[in-house]
Amino acid sequence: MMSDRQIIEGCARNERRAQQELYNRYSHFLLGVCLRYASDKAEAEDILQDSLLKIYFNIKDYSGTGSFIGWLRKIAVNTAITHYHKHLKFRYYVDIEDYVSAESGVSSFEEDLFTSDELFRVLNELPAGYRMVFNLYAVEGYKHKEIAKMLDIDTNTSKSQYSRAKAAIRGKLDKLRKLKSRYPSDNKETEK
Amino acid sequence: MKARNGDKELRDLFRNKLESAEVVPSPSVSKIIMKKLAVRRFLRFNAARFNAWYAGAIIATGTIIAVILSSNPRSDDSYKEPALTKEPDKQIINEKIREDDIITEEKGDTESKSVIGIQEEKASYPKITPDDQETVVTEQKTGPVNSLRIPDISGETIVSGRVTTRNNLKSTVVNKDSYIAASVIEGCAPLKVIFRSMIAPEDSCKWTFGDGGYSYDRNTEWLFDIEGDYRVDLDIYTADGKRNTSSVDIIVHPSPEARFEIIPENAIIPDDEIVFLNYSTNAVRYKWDFGDGTTSELFEPRHAYNKYNNYDIQLIAYSEYGCSDSLMIYNAFSGSGYFVDFPNAFIPNPNGPSGGYYSPRSDESAYVFHPVYSGVASYQLRIFSRLGILIFESNDINIGWDGYYKGALCEPGVYIYKVRGIYINGEPFTKMGDVTLLKN
Repeated sequence: MMSDRQIIEGCARNERRAQQELYNRYSHFLLGVCLRYASDKAEAEDILQDSLLKIYFNIKDYSGTGSFIGWLRKIAVNTAITHYHKHLKFRYYVDIEDYVSAESGVSSFEEDLFTSDELFRVLNELPAGYRMVFNLYAVEGYKHKEIAKMLDIDTNTSKSQYSRAKAAIRGKLDKLRKLKSRYPSDNKETEK
Repeated sequence: MKARNGDKELRDLFRNKLESAEVVPSPSVSKIIMKKLAVRRFLRFNAARFNAWYAGAIIATGTIIAVILSSNPRSDDSYKEPALTKEPDKQIINEKIREDDIITEEKGDTESKSVIGIQEEKASYPKITPDDQETVVTEQKTGPVNSLRIPDISGETIVSGRVTTRNNLKSTVVNKDSYIAASVIEGCAPLKVIFRSMIAPEDSCKWTFGDGGYSYDRNTEWLFDIEGDYRVDLDIYTADGKRNTSSVDIIVHPSPEARFEIIPENAIIPDDEIVFLNYSTNAVRYKWDFGDGTTSELFEPRHAYNKYNNYDIQLIAYSEYGCSDSLMIYNAFSGSGYFVDFPNAFIPNPNGPSGGYYSPRSDESAYVFHPVYSGVASYQLRIFSRLGILIFESNDINIGWDGYYKGALCEPGVYIYKVRGIYINGEPFTKMGDVTLLKN
């Protein structure tokens, strides 16, 4: 079993074994990050490939301070943003259904009610713009100002996108919950 | 507060569940990445290993060497040919001709034939009288100077070669024994003439153009914009203090001007017979082109068209000296006669709906949204709100929109109008635009 340090040094020397080890250890986690920013698994894997290539080529730049996993995640997120920008032209639309920003009444969600698979699906179904802002703000914990800079949009756009994303997510979760309460047996099977 | 809590809850839900969620990638991903890694690594520059840069460099040098080897013998051959035929005499001639070319180009197309004559003369010139030149050279100056220019220095004696050149310039030069070469001596105003003085390089000169203008340039051009007969004088001050005068007469004919009018003004084609009123000046001969393939040479012709079209009508007027001017009226029967135009804003009468009746003269306060128009046979006007609701419709051009919808004054703002109809010549029209309803 190699340590993180050995892996990093091995990758810096282009050692095949270290690269494979890094992949084995972190690809699952990185794909989890990527999937949050993608509309399906295939796209997520595309982002993962780009991220890993970046990681392999730039591993020398990892200073060693700060957690390695955090560094990996940052690269994946940045790659996802680049990917989003690159494919922006295919995504310049917002469903009219999503656009109606009615804050639905449901405000509390029990954490155990939804599996991560379902949450992934909810994110995947969001319009790309909403997904980017929601991920960066809610999950990654960036400020709206930083997000605006990253996505090259206005701060207020980021805020409004976020609130619309929230409304859309709430709606979807609501639907999901109703579905679940109707088929509780299914629920238990999918639940971890 | 509640919303805030909800927000946090939602954030926590996603953060806790997904921040470090793991998803198993497809098994192929690993292979693809390793393959890409290998390719990228190959493309990256690395001095220590053989990679794409080295491969590219080898291919590039290989092709360069191949190209050099294959093109070298050819380039040697092509270089030898001109070198063999090169002669020192011709070089001088070429230079001289090139000088002439620059000037004759300015003279325009009419002189091109005589120009060729000049060039031929020049080419044979040094061969015919090589001895004369050299004697002139020795008389004037001690050192050997460029032989071709020397004859000009002596203002009085002109070498025979020069004179023959002038004879060829007959169409352009007035007096054979003068020092002036003019590009044209007769023409229509405004007439541009290029003057060239045949004087030695060290002599100075003054041109007087007869209309008050003058120039000290050796070669000059002058624009005569008023008709008349002008005597152009050239005073030459030679280097040895002598003074010579030379002159040329330039005749400038008045230019014709083609002008006409179409009657009736808003003619209905094909019903009306069109009368063309001719207002041309300084002209004796006319040529009309009615645009439908027929022509006329009458002074004021009449013409009836067979069917409606946008005809382009042209009149060419010729003066007695052959000068001409033309006037073309494009789309003679479209733009002028028939049109529908709307304003882009109006203020409805706040005192209540008027029904939309208006007369073009009375509606000065613009209470009614209506067009200005001409030649409209049938017409439909519709007004839409920005939401696309039809709020007004009129099939009568004398009824416009008064700004009311169901008896209530509409909100100020932008409304869309759409109009379609047929002009009296049978041509359909549609128009769309927006109008701003203003509040009084």
